[in-house]
Parts: sequence; structure tokens; C-alpha cells
Amino acid sequence: MKIECTKENLVESIAVAEKISGKNLTLPVLNNLLLEAKGDKFFIRSTNLDLGVEIEVQCKVHREGTVAVSGSVLHGLVSTLYNSNKVNLEVVNNNLVVSTDSNNALIKTVPHDDFPTLPTVESSKNINIKAIDFINGLKSVWYSASISSIKQELSSVYIYNNDSKIVFVSTDSFRLAEKTIQIKDKIDDFEPILIPLSNIGEIIRVLEYVGGNIDIKLSNNQISFISDKIYLTSRLINGNFPDYKQIIPKEYTTEVVILKQDMVNTLKNTNVFSDKFNQVSFSVNPAEKTFTVSSKNENIGEVTDAVDSAITGEGLNINFNHKYISDCFQSIAQDSVSFEFAGLSKPVVVRGVGDPSFFYLVMPMNK
Amino acid sequence: MNETINENVIDEVDVKALWENTLVDIELEISKANFSTWFKNTHVIKVEDDMVYLSVENAFVKDWLYKKYHKTILKILRNFVPSARGLEYVIKKDDKKEEGGEIKHNVNKELPLSDFYINKEDNLNPRYIFDTFVVGSFNELAHAASQAVVEKPGIVYNPLFVYGGSGHGKTHLIQSIGNQLKKRNPNTKVFYTTSEKFATDYISAVRSNKVNTLFKEKYRKYDVLILDDIQFLSNMDKTREELFHLFNSLYDDNKQIIFSSDKHPNFIPNLEDRLKSRFSAGMIIDIPSPDSESRMAIIKLKAQQNKLIISDEVVSYLATNIQGNIRELEGILNSIICQSQLKSKVLTLSDVKNLIKNNVKPKKSVSVKDVIKQVAEFYNLEEDIIYKKTRVKEVVKPRQLIMYILREDFNVSYPTIGQKLGGRDHTTVIHSCEKIKNDLKVDSMLIKEVEQIRAMLS
Repeated sequence: MKIECTKENLVESIAVAEKISGKNLTLPVLNNLLLEAKGDKFFIRSTNLDLGVEIEVQCKVHREGTVAVSGSVLHGLVSTLYNSNKVNLEVVNNNLVVSTDSNNALIKTVPHDDFPTLPTVESSKNINIKAIDFINGLKSVWYSASISSIKQELSSVYIYNNDSKIVFVSTDSFRLAEKTIQIKDKIDDFEPILIPLSNIGEIIRVLEYVGGNIDIKLSNNQISFISDKIYLTSRLINGNFPDYKQIIPKEYTTEVVILKQDMVNTLKNTNVFSDKFNQVSFSVNPAEKTFTVSSKNENIGEVTDAVDSAITGEGLNINFNHKYISDCFQSIAQDSVSFEFAGLSKPVVVRGVGDPSFFYLVMPMNK
Repeated sequence: MNETINENVIDEVDVKALWENTLVDIELEISKANFSTWFKNTHVIKVEDDMVYLSVENAFVKDWLYKKYHKTILKILRNFVPSARGLEYVIKKDDKKEEGGEIKHNVNKELPLSDFYINKEDNLNPRYIFDTFVVGSFNELAHAASQAVVEKPGIVYNPLFVYGGSGHGKTHLIQSIGNQLKKRNPNTKVFYTTSEKFATDYISAVRSNKVNTLFKEKYRKYDVLILDDIQFLSNMDKTREELFHLFNSLYDDNKQIIFSSDKHPNFIPNLEDRLKSRFSAGMIIDIPSPDSESRMAIIKLKAQQNKLIISDEVVSYLATNIQGNIRELEGILNSIICQSQLKSKVLTLSDVKNLIKNNVKPKKSVSVKDVIKQVAEFYNLEEDIIYKKTRVKEVVKPRQLIMYILREDFNVSYPTIGQKLGGRDHTTVIHSCEKIKNDLKVDSMLIKEVEQIRAMLS
């Protein structure tokens, strides 16, 4: 194999692929990147058997060939080549020689016969959407997914379509986030899917690198994202997401509208005194038109903070885990947020004022 | 090695053995790293029409096995299933539990989001309703009084005081009143709490110096207050005082108040007269131990609720042989349900007998000393004084009662009783027992006291 390409093209692709190469103890070849020059194209492939990516890098192929090398070494080397923009990669005697005008490096290769191919997803359906939209959907909800792997269906992002909208949902059963993304072009209907949380971070990273429009192909067990320079595929979880619609309160008894920044500051303040359960208490008093947030720790002390707010409905005292509340502000772009309470035992619904595409639901804490 | 397989379908055990044998051979052909990566967690699901169906973990494995090892696997498989024509890879379901619909339902139930058990606004457990309350001759009166309270809350029987032994259904009954009132008028502010919680509430209000705002206002706004197990307040003077004021304020506003306790108010130690008399102003009802017909009715209802098929023979055996309270009855029924699900058959009487042998707690043996101690405690006396020769009225009556109980309940002989109680003559003992027996016919207070003491001893 012998190729010649620019440093930028190479570094970015290696960085993306290297993150996915797994720490697989049983099959050491998976810790490497597979470099493949075929025809006039050059590909970098990596997989951890859960998630796999193949990136096409723009370059000039002089001689075809395939080689597997350590991703971290290659990345470390190429990203620190400063004085030249052109890089040559050549396999000589089972070693990969990386050379520039002034620099000459040699990396040991490993046998690549055992390096697996990436599964292809056969589907006639075409879902073509903007990468940025898909990323936005994932980023708006994925922090709500369950970290524990006991229930796989909860430690994932649930995605389904509704006419020309794609809905992203995540919950760990204490809170839930739902984001609806409006798609401009018509897409084919698809069965709801569950993408494992462990793959979401990498999917976001790769899609951010790709940008533009992507094609999505789905089968029962696998999802692929395809663009002209990348093929990314991930395992899907084969489970049933709970019927979350039934827990969304249909109406609310108290609504509090506040500035997002005020609430963020207040929660930072009250967090100082929150106990080991991160409990903060919200107190709504319509008669006095006050909304206060307080927290108390038996051993440290307590604090109460009043927040400027517009209140409608009944008074209420209710407790939450402050972390669950503050998590959602990252997905709300609006300046004002509304808290809709439906009573002591019902979850609170948080929305950005004037944004129907996102809501966030938190269960109260029992005292 | 060549097994002849005539049938197209091989049963499950063979399939498992077949794949194990195949794996052994595959392991010899390929590297260890590859073997453990790709063949770990693979299974043969079935062999049908000469096709072998292989379950694999995910699409990566499926793809790679097909591309790289398909021929190897098939070649080795043919050693065992000569007719094998093809190999199909199936990605297995992640959630093995998904197979039955039942489990899926459970998954939902575990989610705190979808289901909450106790309503935090009123603390009532929605499970306790009148529909599931079995009415027998033993609790008829209590049930009727509760119904009357539901009809006219705050007007008839205010306060309602229900007392009875543990597991006799007090909590079920008083919570049912709350739930029924809520059902009739969802705006009714009902609040159920245990005395323990009530006391904690009070204490934390005192500590944060907010008795008025946190405690008084909170409790005074309720239309119906249900306070469970108030005997626990017997050594909390300040909380009792607060309860007294709360009681007055609610009572004056015609708000319904419901109490439960394991004893008659007169026998709750340290209870002030002003509270006793207030409790007596309403209705005080006893829920005694269920009679055997009621037990049968309860067993049948519980069995029906749990979809348990149970013969009448077993029902009557349980009703007569489980002497404990309803809770114990439920416990034993649960173990019957569990056993019959495990064995997936209807348990016969002998099965049930066997089961109960392990479950029934042995009857507690009570020593003479225990009886004396309990009675002395009940009458607030020093234990030593019982043995002495004193003939003070306050001591004589308990002493006679001890003799009566020892004789009647534990069949101790007259001379032994006499000897144990400070060397008294057996005729003294006979006289005492006769005396109590006669008194019991006329003195209703004494009946109550004996009942209480017996409850404490059991």
C-alpha cells in the first residue's frame, strides 16, 4: 500500500476512527485501525463490535493494499507533524512508513486478516435528514437516559417518527426528556428504534464531523448513517420502551414561569446545602406571589432563595433532586422556562416558554 | 461419531449437545482470540428442514461469521448432522425476559414514573377499599359504623375509635373510609397518618420553631383526619397535648376524626382523662378476632383475588388451624400461591398440611413468671408485691386474676399455682378462680381487662 494525502484530511479522520476502536481484550486486532487502499480510494475503518465506522479519506493512491496499525500511535504521530502538509503512507516489509519531507517514521503493523467487516443494513427505506437535526435531537435528550445497564431499553435513546417529525425520548424512570424535530423533506415511516446510550456520544461526534445531509438505514438490530465520505453503523437495542405518554400529566394545577438564568443561579446556590439525595424544595405561594427554592442539610445548614416569577394556580410545596432539574436547561434555548406542577405525586413538566418541541419531566422526591 | 438423524426436527437437548460438539471442533481450527470473540454467546436455536438456525449477539457477529467462518462451521456441523444444507444466523433479542407478556407488565410496574402506590396528598393506600373488606359477624359493627361515617362525616360517630388486635383489619377499615370519602367527593381533604409520623412531624416542627405554620396549620386544614395506632403516643406527653388541641379544633368545626389503636382508650397507659373522655364521646368499637366462618370468607376472597384455585376442604382446614390474625392467614395463603405456581398444580390438602408445618409459628410457651409480669405491668404494680402476703385490694385483684388465667388458659394445677404465688394454699387458689369467674359475669370492665391481658400474652 502506498498513498499520499494532506495532513488535515488524515488527522481528522484518524481522530474520529480512533475514538471508536475498542479496548477489546479477546480480539486484540480491534484496538487498531484498518487502513485500506482500494482502487483510487482510501478508507480508515474501526469498530468495537458495537459501533463501527468507515471513513473515506481524500488522497492519491499509488499502490493498493491493507494494513492494521495502532490508532493512538498513528494519531499521535500524524497530529504532531508540523512542518509539512503532505504525508506519505507506505507499507514496507510489514511496517507502515509515515514520511513527510523532513520526517520519517515507522510503525509496526499487526496481521489484519481477523479485522472484521462492518455489517451492512439492507433497507429500501430512505431517511434523509440533516446531521445537525439528528444531533440536536440526541443532544436534547440523551442525558436523561439511564446509566445503569440493568434495563437496556432505558439506557438508550428512543426514536420514532410521527408524520414528518422525528421524536427523541430518553428516561431513567426518574426524569424524562422528549424532543421533536421537524423534518422539511418527506421521510419514509420507520419502526421505533432504541440506540444504546453507550454509542450516542460517538455517534454525535462522528455526525458532527460529517455535517451536511445523511442517509439513515434501519433494520431490526442495526442502524447505519451513510454520507459520501462515511459509513457509521451501530447496534440497536431490541426492546420495548415504556409507554411514557401515560405518565405525562394531562393538565396542571400550578404554573410558574421564571427566567432560565435565575433558576440556574438559584439551583447553584441551593445546591451548596443539599443533602446526599440532592434534595431541593420548591415552594409556590400564589397569595404572596412568591416562588422560593430551599435546601437543607442537617449537618451543614439551610438556605432559601426567592426567585422572581409569574405564578398561576394553586400553592404547593414539593421536593426534587436538584440535579434532575438543572440537567434540562442545557436543552432549553429560550430565556424563560415554565414549570407546570400537577400536584404532589405527579411529575413536574419543564418547558422553554414558546417552544413546543421540547419538554422535560421530573418525578418529585418522596420525603 | 456419526449420529444418524432421521427426523428433521431435533429436540432441544440434542441441539444443545450438537452445538457444544461443534464448538469443540471449531475451537481447534481457529485462533483462541477469534473463537472467544465470535463464538461466545452463540447458540443453535433449532434444526429444521436441514437448516441450522444459529443465534448470535449482534449484526457485527452475524456479518463476520457469515463472511469468514460460514464454510468452516457448516463443514463441522455436517459431521454431526450429515443432512445439514444451510446455516442461518439470527440476531437474538436483547431482553431475554421479553418472551412472556407477564414480565413486560412487571417492567412497567417497577417504573416509579408510571405507577405510584400511595397518594402523597392524603397518604392513603388505594388498595384499602370497602370492596376488598370482608365483613363477618366479628367486624359487622365496625363496618356498619364506618359506613355511617362515610354517609355523614363529622356528624355521626365523631370521633370514631376502632380498636382490636394486630392484623384484625383496623388499618384496612379506616383507610377504606378515607378512600370512600375521597371517591364520593374528590375535594374532601382526607389525611391519613400513623401516630409515629404524627409525632415526628410535631417534633421536627418544634425543632425548626415553626409549630404554628408547619404543624398546626397543616393538620387543621383537613376535613377528615385518620390517625392510626395511637397507643404509640402513650409516652409522648407533648405530642398528646398537641393532639388534644388539634382534636378540639377539628371537633368544633365538625371535621371527622378517626382513630385506631390496639387497646381500648381506657387501657392506653398515660392517656389523660380529658382525651379518654373525648374519645368516648363518639363511638368506640372493637374488632375482635375473626370467627372461623369469617376466616373462611377471608381466605376465599383472598384466593379469588390472587386467582388461586383452592378446595373447600383446604379452606376449612386453614380456617380452623391457623389461629393467628388475618395477616398471618394472608402470609400462609401467599406461600400456598407461590408453591402452586412453582409446581404449577392445585395443591391438595396434604400438600397444604406439609407446607403449613414449616410456616406456622410454634405456639409460644408462657411461663408463670411471664403471666405475673404482664399482669403486674398491666395494673402498674411491682412484680414482687404479688408474691407478698399483703391483702391490699389493689394487689388482691391482680393476684386473683393471675390465678384465674393460669388455671383457665394454661391448665396449671391449683397446688402449683398456689406454690408459685408465694406458697398459698390450693383452696385459696380455687376460691380466687371462682371469684373471678363470678365477677366476670357482671363486671364488663373486668371482661375487657381479661381480654387485654390475654391479648398481651398471646
